[in-house]
Amino acid sequence: MSAESAAAAAEPTPVNGKYVYCIIRNDRSREFGEIGIGSASRVYTVSHKDLAAVISDTPIVIYDPTRENVLAHEFVNETVMREFTLIPMSFGTVFRSENDVLALLKSTYQAFTDVLDKMQDKIEFGLKILWDRDRVVAAIERDNDEIRRLKDEITRNAASSTYFARMQLGRLVEAAMEEASNRYVTDIHEQLKDVSVASRSNKVIGDRMILNAAFLVDRKDEKAFDERVKAISLQYEDLLTFKYTGPWPPYNFVNIKLKLEKAT
Amino acid sequence: MGILTNILLSPFLGPIWGTRWTLDKVDRVVREELTDDTPIKEDLMKLQMQLEMGEIDDAEYVRREAEIMQRLREVREWRERYGMSTSGGPVRVADSDETE
Repeated sequence: MSAESAAAAAEPTPVNGKYVYCIIRNDRSREFGEIGIGSASRVYTVSHKDLAAVISDTPIVIYDPTRENVLAHEFVNETVMREFTLIPMSFGTVFRSENDVLALLKSTYQAFTDVLDKMQDKIEFGLKILWDRDRVVAAIERDNDEIRRLKDEITRNAASSTYFARMQLGRLVEAAMEEASNRYVTDIHEQLKDVSVASRSNKVIGDRMILNAAFLVDRKDEKAFDERVKAISLQYEDLLTFKYTGPWPPYNFVNIKLKLEKAT
Repeated sequence: MGILTNILLSPFLGPIWGTRWTLDKVDRVVREELTDDTPIKEDLMKLQMQLEMGEIDDAEYVRREAEIMQRLREVREWRERYGMSTSGGPVRVADSDETE
């Protein structure tokens, strides 16, 4: 029987597992309040030397990545982030015991320390950009002579205009749109370059999105980055919608492969 | 001898090789299909985007999120059955026996 179906069957589940949110540098025990995933249990730290794992007690279950659960996970990391540089753990990581958490800290002490040094005072911002297809097409028709001429011609000779001419117009518009999308994205990246440390482009979601990126920003540049994003969104306000989120822990820039085994 | 056996038995062995190859391939495709959660995660991200853009309401989100969670659980079960790694869930640190 899997851990999850055990929970579903409402059997008394032992609450001796540890849900791990993140790793920080801290050698004293800390409390972060009753904000844990699942049942709002207390969030606290266990330390090994100057490293600490931020954890809460949990039954040994598999957490579905529902909005509620993911928000709880993120809320803890946001709270911790106000005071600490952190290495986020993957959502849903549950250890069987405190000893397992300590063993993780011991065995990966050097790797965690190196990453914490690199991520010191770095935060992440998310930037998703969507376009309004109709408006972009209108802008293209306005600015591109060849497309405008061809379109006028087709409209004037609606009856006689050929299938070929329409096909050609469609192809030209498609190509111009792709070109425009690349131009916008390149320009935006360029404008954010000197206020960020690094950026990463993720796969776009849905057909309206042209950019789904994460930016790593030094805390001291937070305000500058913020203002730059606002300026760019004003510049493109007629064409593009900006979805700007953060600050986040550096989810997209920390990649530690943990040597973990499935608990049986 | 080998060649002769092959020739003599070829009408018999031929189709079997063929069948086995096909079944292996089908098995692989099915396995990939059953154990790949990438499209499900993409669906979840699309759904979140739709909510964020106000294209769906909260009730609709909750309903479709439940469907997606069910699909994720099924993939997880298949991955466990095939002995593949899963994200999240109970883990233990490798070689941590001495601490217990």
